[in-house]
Amino acid sequence: MLPWLLRRVAAGIAIVFAVVTLTFAAVHLAPGAPFLPPEGRPVNPAATERLRRAFGLDRPLPEQYVRYLAALAHGELGESFSRRRPVAAMIGQALPNTVLLAGAALLIDFALGIAIGVFQAAHVRGRSDVALTNLTLFFYSLPTFWLGLVLLLVFGQWLHWFPVGGITDPVLHDALPLGGRILDRLRHLALPALTLGLVAAGGTARFQRAALLDALGQDYVRTARAKGLPERAVLVRHALRDALLPVISLLGLALPFLLTGAVLVETVFAWPGLGKLAADAISARDYPVVLGTTLLVSAAVVVGSLVADLITAAADPRIRLSA
Amino acid sequence: MIPSSWLPRIPVVVALGILSAAACSRRGGCRGEYCGTLVIAGTSDVTTLLPPVSDAAIDRDVFDQIFLRLADLAPDGGTIGDSGFVPQLARSWEWTDPLTLVFHLDPRARWQDGPAVTAADVAFTFDAYTDTAIASGDRGALSHIASVTAPDSLTAVFRFRDRYPEMFFDAVFHMRILPAHLLANVPRGTWQTAEFGRAPVGDGPYRFVRWTPGQTLELAADSAFFLGRPHLRRVIWRFASDLNAAITQVVAGEADAIEVLITPPNIKRAQDAGHLTLYPYAGPTYSFLRFNLRANGDGSHPHPIFGDPDVRRALVLATDRARMLQSVFAGHAKIPPGPMTQQWQWLWVPELTVPPYDTAQAARLLAARGWRDTNGDGVRDRGGKKLSFHLLVPSTSAVRQQYATLLQEQLKAVGVEVLIDQMEPATQGERLHGGAFDAALESWNADPTPTSSVSGIWGRSGPSNFGHYANATFDRQIATAASAATPEAAKAAWIAAFGTLAQDAPGIMLFSVDNIAAVDSRVADVRIRPDSWWALLWTWRIPPDKLNERDRVGG
Repeated sequence: MLPWLLRRVAAGIAIVFAVVTLTFAAVHLAPGAPFLPPEGRPVNPAATERLRRAFGLDRPLPEQYVRYLAALAHGELGESFSRRRPVAAMIGQALPNTVLLAGAALLIDFALGIAIGVFQAAHVRGRSDVALTNLTLFFYSLPTFWLGLVLLLVFGQWLHWFPVGGITDPVLHDALPLGGRILDRLRHLALPALTLGLVAAGGTARFQRAALLDALGQDYVRTARAKGLPERAVLVRHALRDALLPVISLLGLALPFLLTGAVLVETVFAWPGLGKLAADAISARDYPVVLGTTLLVSAAVVVGSLVADLITAAADPRIRLSA
Repeated sequence: MIPSSWLPRIPVVVALGILSAAACSRRGGCRGEYCGTLVIAGTSDVTTLLPPVSDAAIDRDVFDQIFLRLADLAPDGGTIGDSGFVPQLARSWEWTDPLTLVFHLDPRARWQDGPAVTAADVAFTFDAYTDTAIASGDRGALSHIASVTAPDSLTAVFRFRDRYPEMFFDAVFHMRILPAHLLANVPRGTWQTAEFGRAPVGDGPYRFVRWTPGQTLELAADSAFFLGRPHLRRVIWRFASDLNAAITQVVAGEADAIEVLITPPNIKRAQDAGHLTLYPYAGPTYSFLRFNLRANGDGSHPHPIFGDPDVRRALVLATDRARMLQSVFAGHAKIPPGPMTQQWQWLWVPELTVPPYDTAQAARLLAARGWRDTNGDGVRDRGGKKLSFHLLVPSTSAVRQQYATLLQEQLKAVGVEVLIDQMEPATQGERLHGGAFDAALESWNADPTPTSSVSGIWGRSGPSNFGHYANATFDRQIATAASAATPEAAKAAWIAAFGTLAQDAPGIMLFSVDNIAAVDSRVADVRIRPDSWWALLWTWRIPPDKLNERDRVGG
């Protein structure tokens, strides 16, 4: 297993390096330039040039790249062009918010997706199965930002059940007792997490249904039934245990989906996470922040994929991590 | 050991615990005149809170609360002479000779960390704003001032290089006085990223509390503010991703104020909300279509279409601006007869008129310049080249996208093809700066005076003259306006200059929006200054009988 692990780690580092290199090239070659004044404000060429020099943008691109890698090797992600703060501090501030959002969405995704998939498999080809198939397909097909806007409009603006944006109430939060602060945070989390979680759950449910139906056709399930076990026990203890394995591997794939989905959802709900940070940075041509967030997300996806493989291997003794 | 049968109930118990704890939330105790909390919905985050290094609108809004000027514009004040200004840090001022202006500081003024505000701070501020290492955007506006000295702690002496009508405006408007004792030792080259810009100490009505990037910025009233205690106890900016999201916060009651609504649908949303009062005020922006008079991406040659003034004039005549205005703004904007914002009300005079909508005359002009539809495809051509151009439009402006579509339709009627290129502002900005465009729809925020913005955008050597418009007569006229001795003379010179500009048609002036702010109806004494929306915030108040829980909390 160790050689496999070392190979995967080496491959992971190579992937992250390639992503950072491609992103570095892409952001510098893309149209638009940093430090231009906001639209409709006077141009100050001296200030723009001084900022370009201060942030090293007057150097040749290969030199900038080498300098960036050298700084990266020392753990430095640079200073934000637009917010004039260390990128690491900005990411440090945004990361917990994205982890919270992605974690809650993952919970909704898998809890709801697995439950629906199991229910459908247990009632296969029944009316409820057909209805849920259509419903999950509907949610799976929805663009996350559109669903987010609809939820925001209905439950935020019309019904006032949930806040329309942000992570906490800026006026009341600090004055609330612990329970109130938790509730305040949950209220703000609800809509963005549901947006991400519902779309992802649509896919997970379809996957779980197929995996469970596959398992229900296996010989060991027929044997369990022949032994006279109740159908619930057959489904939950025998078939589902087997059918969960491919869903676990889905966990690794869910991470990139959630992180990319977070870019749009965080923007819609003004959720101050990595996605919104990256989207704002792209608009402002804030190269260090774009690179920093890309680096982190690509590393997270690589690690997530590795962890999912390890969990799958731990859960399924048939899998040997030697290839 | 918890029995396994209880396990499913644990989440319910936890939820009930949270709910009951939440129900025990403290009730705020602040009562009386000084308890209000105002949440402002902002459309972008702050860059830095160190005034000389930022020109962003949101940053300037916050500067207005934290830092004072020597004197400020009165709500309806003019920029010529000093009669339109009210004291701030300076209690009084006098002209000791035509080129020397002496300010006497108010001895009650204090920095929020304790020391008195002194004339040495004023001299230090001038030195910082004019330092090339900082390259402040206001440096050019201060170039008429030769020196600022501090003969004693309460006297600041400004010496000018020459005499002109807006000397006083330049002396006070561009600089927010900075604390020398906190900034003198910060290397000027590092001011862009200085810690002070993230936690400033000022002398204004509000003190900095905290800034959570991407989320909120909070200020608290300085109860010892020497010009009078601010009534609103807390002011919080809440940053949204765009104007729609910001308006949604205000409509949903999660924010109390927004400075602009812009479009009729937004205005209707605010009106329908029921809890908001709308405050119209003269807008500081104007929008126009700019022609590039040089070839797209090649500044050494004239533009094949827009290099010809008759073609530009024809396009102006072929544009039905009144219909576009009605279609997009339903009456909430005006057509400027020149490069004018509504805050320059004194320039909206009958002598300046909008050219008529006259497609017949436009067609005649185009035909006279050789542009005819020779192949019957509906687009005029000359020498095998179609009368077709690309129009840059920022993807973030729904209003200008609507205008682009309407322009496309109207110009098609006279045989001109408009190809709309929507792009994000950063890309459009780069194309404009590089001269890589045919025409663009732009919006500009202007100062309270036309002096700086008109020359910058339309003057031959203006840094924002992206279309390369050049006319020595126009330059002379705006120079005359800037140096006119009286408001009447300045007005006459501006009218002449805008007449020249209209004749040359380097662009089509499209609209100047009636700004409308929406503020929660519990807020009283709301006054909005066109050039600086929140400058008078410290005089707003929430009457004690209208305070809600959000106003009282933490008191």
